[in-house]
Amino acid sequence: MNDLAFELSGVSKKYRYFTLEDIHLKLPRGQIMGLIGANGAGKSTTIRVLMGLVHQDSGEVRVLGHSMPAEQVAAKWDIGFASEDMRLYDSMTLDWHMSFMQSIYPNWDASYAQLLLKRFGLRVDQKMKGFSHGQRVKAALLLVLARKPQLLVLDEPTTGLDPVARHEILRELTGVMAEEGRSILFSSHNTQDVEQISDHITFIDRGRIIDSMDKETYLDRWRRLRLEVPLGIELPPLPGIVGVQRQGRLAVATSNAFVPDLAHAYEHTGVRVQSIESMTLEEIFVANVEHSREEVEA
Amino acid sequence: MYGTFTLSQSDKRPMYFQIMEQIKQRIMVGDWAEGQPIPSIRQLAVDLQVSVITVKRAYYELEREGVIVTQHGKGSHVASIPGLGARLREQELEQHLEQAARIAAQLGMPTKRLVERLREAGDRVAEKDKELI
Amino acid sequence: MRSSVIGHLILKDWRLNRLLISLSIGVGLIALVIAQYAGEVARVLGSVWFFVSLCILGSILPASAILNERKKQTLAFVMSLPVSSVQYTIAKALSTSAMFLVPWLTLLISALVFIEMRHAIPHGTIPMLLILAMLPLIAFCLISATALVGESEGWLVAASILCNSSYWFVWYLLARIPSLTANWTGPVAVWNSAAVIVLSAEVGSIAFIVGVTFFFQSRKRNFI
Repeated sequence: MNDLAFELSGVSKKYRYFTLEDIHLKLPRGQIMGLIGANGAGKSTTIRVLMGLVHQDSGEVRVLGHSMPAEQVAAKWDIGFASEDMRLYDSMTLDWHMSFMQSIYPNWDASYAQLLLKRFGLRVDQKMKGFSHGQRVKAALLLVLARKPQLLVLDEPTTGLDPVARHEILRELTGVMAEEGRSILFSSHNTQDVEQISDHITFIDRGRIIDSMDKETYLDRWRRLRLEVPLGIELPPLPGIVGVQRQGRLAVATSNAFVPDLAHAYEHTGVRVQSIESMTLEEIFVANVEHSREEVEA
Repeated sequence: MYGTFTLSQSDKRPMYFQIMEQIKQRIMVGDWAEGQPIPSIRQLAVDLQVSVITVKRAYYELEREGVIVTQHGKGSHVASIPGLGARLREQELEQHLEQAARIAAQLGMPTKRLVERLREAGDRVAEKDKELI
Repeated sequence: MRSSVIGHLILKDWRLNRLLISLSIGVGLIALVIAQYAGEVARVLGSVWFFVSLCILGSILPASAILNERKKQTLAFVMSLPVSSVQYTIAKALSTSAMFLVPWLTLLISALVFIEMRHAIPHGTIPMLLILAMLPLIAFCLISATALVGESEGWLVAASILCNSSYWFVWYLLARIPSLTANWTGPVAVWNSAAVIVLSAEVGSIAFIVGVTFFFQSRKRNFI
């Protein structure tokens, strides 16, 4: 039995105005991966390739041990997919959709479905066209959650939702982790949600993966150093510093590979380190994207 | 068993650290007794709605500090050290004292003056407590 | 496991297009009644109306049953189910065809029965009747194929216009084949080589359209 929820190796996909290049990505079973990227960065494309909805131009895709898109039917029995641009049938009720799913999937958990209805505050007898955006998203999630699939692939599950709805969804997503071996991949540009529930974080920008590692290591490696630079002293370029902003005697250095020696290195040159601060995932994301774009252009 | 931990993303300190703090808090005030079993990593992650890796890290650090013990296959429990709560309180005091010393140094305050200030603070606290009673 | 998903998709399509299905059956029955009981003029009008309805249905059905899946963005939902693009195409083709075949067969069978029971129309017309009846079916297949492969309303409209404006031309061509029209008024249905060849060509063209459709559908690399 494969111990990876999914693995993409050297995957590329070319569209007219956008290219997904050389994607290497994998997630061990039983973990949650958050995929962060700006709009148009390639999150949805990556997810579509993963689901076998789009055939990659090169590279291998394996999901739950199945090769995609060749074995997509077998894989999809155990995958629950929901995306932001997906719609359910307007003229049918939520109840109809639930019965539809129940008739197809043998491991539909009816009592959990009822619980979700209550928690999400959804009405079964209402037609989908009467649902608000938030209710629609929750309905789509209910339909995949109640199946208890091995892997959940969610494209922007919390986008455009009010804080209460977001909280309800995050609660269910973390609840999935109660069963060992179940995994989640979700994309978002809401860094707070990703920071809260992800075990593993991947940054994607302009069709490339710029970073992918476990969350705690990530948060540990990025630091912001506030520096006081006496006049006449040049800030030395140090390894692990990806950006420096300077105004007069004050400077802020951003590091993506922080070790205490870095602070000492500055102090040796006469620069005073006022403080060393952790960065939020949002700040890390922005700094990382800027850094990687500079590198690409160089 | 433990009510809800309050984790805040706007708190400057990392989430795993906040979890550690709140576990230590409960031990200090005596809500969690020495040797008492605590939720498994996975269970706590689900209840707090945070990633498993974050709770794992919190538990790892706490185990390194000797505050909790995790036995493979048997779950985790508060370390069976008598007086653990008091010891944690002592550590907290140490941290505050060091912090005070650091700030005093930045202000250029001599140690003698710092000790005086500490005495004054102690008096103020005693007075406020009297008013409350 | 696999085939039942196709079955569920077919049932789903019928449930979604309940209204359209009822309407088409209703139209069929009404036209039948008119043709059976009313006078000569009404009979002719009824048959023409029925034929026209079939042509229109042949365009509306693919639009509603096939294109809507993409327009209303429910395709991602369907493809998240355990189906491949080929299986999806099979389900769509079967469900949509069934919806068309019901009124189409109603027309054909009732016309044959009418010819058999009443002796107002000679049996000699039967081969020609079959040949003519196949035309809306071919049109339906072509328009559906275009909707499935082309994925857009533009293609569907183009195919509809092409088919609907070609009827006259095809009738003209057929009427120019002497061996087809020769025995038109005779009391016996004559299955000469011309009739057999034309019918075979019609059936063959449907098979060709179906084959080409599945060929293109299976090769699509960006299904969504």
